[in-house]
Amino acid sequence: MTKRWFLGSATVLAALGSLAFVQAQGGEEAAVESAPAPATSAEQPIAFPHSIHAGTDRIPCMYCHFSAERSVDAGIPPVRTCIGCHQVINGTTPAQQREIQKVRDYFNRGEAIPWVRIYKVSDHVRFPHMRHIAAEIDCTECHGAVAEMAVIEEVNQPLGMGWCISCHLENDASRDCAVCHY
Amino acid sequence: MSDGIKRREFLKVLGVSGAGASMVGCSTEEVERLIPYVTPPEEITPGVATWYASTCNECSAHCGLWVKTREGRVVMVEGNPSHPISKGGLCSRGHSSLQGLYNPDRFTGPMARRNGQLEPITWEEAEQMLAERLRASSAPLLIAGGAGPSMSSVLEMFAEAAGVGLVRNDPLADAPLREAGRMAYARAAIPSYDLESADFILSFGADFLETWGSPVAYTKQFSQASGVDEEGHKSEFVFVGPRLGLTGMNADEWVPIAPGSEGLLALAMANVISAGGRNAGPYADIVSAFTPQSVAQATGLETDTIESLAERFRSAGTSVALGPGVAGQHRNATAANLAVLILNEVAGNVGTSVRYGDAETGAVETSFSDLSGAISAMQSGSVDLVMVYGCNPVFSTPGGAGFAAAYASVGFKVSFASTMDETAAQADLVLPDHHALESWGDAWPRPGVVSLQQPAMQPVPLFDSKATGDVLMSVAGLLGQGFQEATFYDFVRSRWAEASGTSGDAFEALWKDALRRGFLEVPVDDDGATALRTPDQAMVFDVPSFDGSAEDPVLVVYPSPRFGDGALNGNRPWLHELPDPVSKMAWHSWVEVNPHTAERMGLRSGDVVTVTSPHGSVEVPLWEYPGVREDVVALAMGGGHTDAGQYADGNGVNAMDLLPGEAEALSGSAVYMATRVSLAATGRRYKMATIEGSSTQSNRPITPAVAIAELGHAEEDHGEGHELKELQGVGGFVPVETEGRPQDYPLEGSQHGQYDPEAHPRWAMAIDLDKCTGCSACVTACQAENNVPWVGEQQVQMGRDMGWIRLERYYETVDATHAGPVDVRFMPMLCQHCNNAPCEPVCPVYATYHSPNGINQQVYNRCVGTRYCANNCPYKVRVFNWYRYTDAIPEPLNWQWNPDVTVRDNGVMEKCSFCIQRIREAENLAKIEGREGVPDGAVVPACQSTCPADAIVFGNIKDPTSRVAEVVESERTYRVLDELINTQPGVSYLKKVTFHDVESGEH
Repeated sequence: MTKRWFLGSATVLAALGSLAFVQAQGGEEAAVESAPAPATSAEQPIAFPHSIHAGTDRIPCMYCHFSAERSVDAGIPPVRTCIGCHQVINGTTPAQQREIQKVRDYFNRGEAIPWVRIYKVSDHVRFPHMRHIAAEIDCTECHGAVAEMAVIEEVNQPLGMGWCISCHLENDASRDCAVCHY
Repeated sequence: MSDGIKRREFLKVLGVSGAGASMVGCSTEEVERLIPYVTPPEEITPGVATWYASTCNECSAHCGLWVKTREGRVVMVEGNPSHPISKGGLCSRGHSSLQGLYNPDRFTGPMARRNGQLEPITWEEAEQMLAERLRASSAPLLIAGGAGPSMSSVLEMFAEAAGVGLVRNDPLADAPLREAGRMAYARAAIPSYDLESADFILSFGADFLETWGSPVAYTKQFSQASGVDEEGHKSEFVFVGPRLGLTGMNADEWVPIAPGSEGLLALAMANVISAGGRNAGPYADIVSAFTPQSVAQATGLETDTIESLAERFRSAGTSVALGPGVAGQHRNATAANLAVLILNEVAGNVGTSVRYGDAETGAVETSFSDLSGAISAMQSGSVDLVMVYGCNPVFSTPGGAGFAAAYASVGFKVSFASTMDETAAQADLVLPDHHALESWGDAWPRPGVVSLQQPAMQPVPLFDSKATGDVLMSVAGLLGQGFQEATFYDFVRSRWAEASGTSGDAFEALWKDALRRGFLEVPVDDDGATALRTPDQAMVFDVPSFDGSAEDPVLVVYPSPRFGDGALNGNRPWLHELPDPVSKMAWHSWVEVNPHTAERMGLRSGDVVTVTSPHGSVEVPLWEYPGVREDVVALAMGGGHTDAGQYADGNGVNAMDLLPGEAEALSGSAVYMATRVSLAATGRRYKMATIEGSSTQSNRPITPAVAIAELGHAEEDHGEGHELKELQGVGGFVPVETEGRPQDYPLEGSQHGQYDPEAHPRWAMAIDLDKCTGCSACVTACQAENNVPWVGEQQVQMGRDMGWIRLERYYETVDATHAGPVDVRFMPMLCQHCNNAPCEPVCPVYATYHSPNGINQQVYNRCVGTRYCANNCPYKVRVFNWYRYTDAIPEPLNWQWNPDVTVRDNGVMEKCSFCIQRIREAENLAKIEGREGVPDGAVVPACQSTCPADAIVFGNIKDPTSRVAEVVESERTYRVLDELINTQPGVSYLKKVTFHDVESGEH
């Protein structure tokens, strides 16, 4: 009896101890494989090509993700920001025109675009975007070559602590637990 | 991966399978949506707080608020530092207004009773229905509680337009003081008291630090006066009354007079001061009749005591007398208030420390007799429609008045309550009001100061509420009596445009600036002049009559320091969970009985007793409290809700059930000190939900004090000669060599882990116990800021309360038998952030460790819940999540979470973090603004921010110019228990200063 109890509680302890790592994962599969998780297959409501906006048109990231340099949140652009340009820009191919029309429809309906979230750190992690921008960390260091992506892909996933720490080590940033966990 | 599964991967798999289904919920497998704004509001940046200045609507003090919103949602309220009334302080009740906003039991929309059930209707239907009913009604009545000047005008104009009788109701109205002012000075007002410059404060039972007048403002002033200054000066505070409340516990002396005899003592003192009444002007005859000898027996005091008290009052540089306050409202209350005014007059205080020029104007000018008139009208059947706004008279009216039955007999009842309460429960039509944080409004706390209330967020979408001002204006329109203004907002604006004498662009500029600051100043024409005149009424100053048998104790019913009258704020778990500042009990009621009385009756704390008055009875656990006279028992208002929501109902008893429905003859005030009660044991015991471990320090120097005479001579006792010891497993106490300065911590040999002794900044805190009044505002502020859950009565009974700050209260001297020193020590106990912390080495998973900045950190995601740290903490400041307390919180109460702080789950230890999120915020801001380091004062933890007494200072102790480094240089500085166990705390305390001798400055 005693022995079984001991084993049982050891398992639970071990399981709880690893909670930190698992919570940050993309799921069970991601936990077992060491390679980054494959790009998400989730359908975005609009086929928004970063490759055109950030690539061809060279729009700076923070034109749309406006709060990255002053807030913990990078900010998802409000629909009005899209409309600011797409009032006059119609797109060249029929496919583009279809997608741009969707944006206008959302705006005219006064409805938010329900983008599928790609990047998320766990609830017990604080990631202040503005500190990383202030430290002149390029957006691409975490988010990959967004300017070349037609569909945003998950890079550096899962957003595990080891990955964060490796960069903090390289840049001599603080490794105090409570820099991120509080 | 060549060597198979690595250890960490193995643990990951184990984690998923071992912890079961709940883990899957934590993963990011489900598709999460990012919902942007369509058109962003200009002032909102995601992730950055937007603050609005507003006004607290929780009591008639109307303190200034800063309302913190994130992404359009209110997440915290704090005091507005530039507000002329509260100057940045805020009490627990003010903080709890957030739980009124997100109260899950708010009405979901307008409702009408059909077949006995309240059923939803539209606002249009509701307003039509009210208009029709009003048209058909022969004698409608509107009972309205507290409201600002604009809302009061709307109520009056609506009543006029619709032919409605308007009755104001405020259970805590200090009508006797108003009436006394009218008699003495032709000023029917509550004067303001200048405690800050007073050298001698005498309260005749007025609980000015907790419920009476403007408690936050008075606490600010009191802590300035009573906190010892650099010259070693400190004002004296003597409390007169049969029961010590929180205010009385902060006194230097207690004069425990017989209940109802305050007026006699005040007159006898006036007699001594005015040379037998000769200098008492028109009151010479009255004053000369009351000599110390003649009142000695009735007050229960020695003649010498009265004479010396009078002499001290007279000879003090500036003196002030207050009271008797709401708990002292008895059948001769106006006379007692007048007596205290005369005492102030003969001591030359009226016009200096007692001022009518800036009178308290926040409360409604009403008295109980207004309501009792309405009760008679309802009983007679002449009222066929009654509307209730901003009050809950079924709950808060003395049971003997028969309000509930009279109200129930009215044909059509309308309620404007935003949430269910005992009065709204009977309504036929419910027109739910916005919460104060969602609506426009104003307050007039002092002449010349207009405190503005602006909506800090869109109304909570789950509740289809509408501002009552707009409803009344719209109904008046339906009755063909429309207002000039289209909305209540326009009404508020045009009112202040007129009062400020501006219009157009000039007013727009003024208005915008006023909203930014939170208040507006308008000119007032009052020089504050007072001329004493002969009373126009005959008065009896004697001890009043009390109902019931003469051998029974007198019942004192006092406003609760947490709830006030509790009429509208019963459904707030923060307030229930907050231990009462006096009894340290949470959730339930208790009756306070002197230990000697209890012993004589064969009763002890925890015995459930039946308290019976001639007007009713309640069953309540007894609590032995040395701070009540032996011939008095006390019961707080605010408990015993039956229909006010899931957190309110069933907790405690309603003291109003014991009281007569009688009005004091002169002022019309309710009489709260009116009856004697008998106590009978039920034979049952109650496990009380108290956080009090011990009421005495048992000779341990936890909260040592220093006598004022010893100040300046205490250096040999401090610092250099102070020997630290460390308790070791083998060898017992081992001396540690030190100079004992907190700046030098950690000392050689205790620099564990990643500690860099040179690291800047080093965060530290200092708490001045000579200023702390024990009000417990910090406890609720901390709970709000740090997402600290409440656990409920049963869990508190088991000692599982989760407050990160525990306001400890120790009796040193509390003696109800005769006048003399009173010494109660308060101490906010929070994580001491020890530089040699006992909790750190015992954690098997490094979940708690010391940060380079001097903070003892708790990393939730590392914590596995062994609780070794809590066992090893000598301060008992670590709290454990035994259950998923946060999961049980219903929508939208969970909207109050601070998004900058992790919400903890079960199995996790937690404790004070020094508001690490605020430190990070300040650091982030400094970084993006390109500044090096955080300036002193940029990081203000929630407890310091809210503290009405300004007792808490926080900052970088390594910076010699910081305030905290300056404060800890005081000779009164000590660290709790550090000389025993060498914990080297980051929190320093400053000893309380007493006028009486304390043994060797220790306890």
